[in-house]
Amino acid sequence: MIITPQELQQWMDNGKSFTVVDIRPEEHRNEFPLTGLNPVIADTNSILETKNDTVLVCQFGIVTEGIIVEKNLEKTFSLLGGAQAWIEFQSEKEDLSRWSRQTVLPEIGLDGQKRLLSATIAIVGMGGLGCPAAQSLTIAGVGKLKIIDGDKVELSNLHRQPLYGVEDIGRLKVKVAKEKLEKLNGDAVVEIVDEFLNKDNGVTFVSDADIIIDATDNIQTRLLIDRLSKESGVPMVYGGLYRYEGQVAILNVNGSSGYRELFPEPPSGGDTCADTGVLGMVPGIIGNIQALEAVKLIVGIEPNLAGKLLVYDGLNHTIQTIEL
Amino acid sequence: MIQVKVKCFSQVKYVLGKDEMSLSLEPGTTSAELEELVRNQAQGKLDKVTLRIAVNQKYIPAEIELKNGDEVAFIPPVQGG
Repeated sequence: MIITPQELQQWMDNGKSFTVVDIRPEEHRNEFPLTGLNPVIADTNSILETKNDTVLVCQFGIVTEGIIVEKNLEKTFSLLGGAQAWIEFQSEKEDLSRWSRQTVLPEIGLDGQKRLLSATIAIVGMGGLGCPAAQSLTIAGVGKLKIIDGDKVELSNLHRQPLYGVEDIGRLKVKVAKEKLEKLNGDAVVEIVDEFLNKDNGVTFVSDADIIIDATDNIQTRLLIDRLSKESGVPMVYGGLYRYEGQVAILNVNGSSGYRELFPEPPSGGDTCADTGVLGMVPGIIGNIQALEAVKLIVGIEPNLAGKLLVYDGLNHTIQTIEL
Repeated sequence: MIQVKVKCFSQVKYVLGKDEMSLSLEPGTTSAELEELVRNQAQGKLDKVTLRIAVNQKYIPAEIELKNGDEVAFIPPVQGG
């Protein structure tokens, strides 16, 4: 008789009494452990029939099928696909339960989650916008993040940059961020560059990304990101802040405008958070909107902010969306 | 006269002290003329600020003539992040 990994899981979930017998050689058992099954070890000549149902496991499910037929064993099942199938089933099950609350959304589903798992997102700036964006993208299952920032953590960052604590003051932001993000999702790959984005490191930084998140704090770098985004064909999710207000747009996608088209002459007058002040929740909201738009773009969910500028006002909670 | 609603964002809002205002304008007034009016109201405090204009939630790259009932938004670039 044959049992599938799914049926075996049901037996376990229902509390059924059964014995699992692993007949594989030691090197296979060590390399491919049967997580959650707690098997009895046996070789092909020492399989005993028990009162309970028995599940025999070999590496691919072929040897055990032969044994059952050959020895005419009763109440004994061969695990279909063997240890390989069980391990694969367990890893899929783990992924499903971790992201089940988002994969249940019909727009995302398993296909969308797989796209997120294989996506690479480059984040420029690990400050007020970069921290919440990176945090949300990591826990949503984005496979690889590339983060770039030459800054070190300062005391005045802590009120709006939740990846850092007092103990991190003086350390490079990207190093601390990588440690914290990998704790949130051990499977996420976080690649760091501990420099500010410039013409020299920029091309390599964005070249293998699916999306660039602009989480910088100055217009010159935004213009450089815009140029790199246009040249590499990688869309850019722009975010900016002014006191209680924030702006988000997806730029340079499917022929839509870029930052330079939005602000053609060298823009001036934009003040930094240090000049004008900011409450931490506002970059939290805006950074999360950037992450949301990045996920929508990767999965292919519409409508999104491609070719639109969103202006959020945290005082009266109004959102204005402007077609670019 | 035509009536337009002006929506102010970021520096415009803080300099003028309001996020919205209704203005009566001469028929034929253009977006650039309205921008001039707003800049005058700011008494020089917006001179160094680049402003982009959206009319009825649509960004306009060039000067257009305003119509009665238009909603005009002034959007400066924001730098913080």
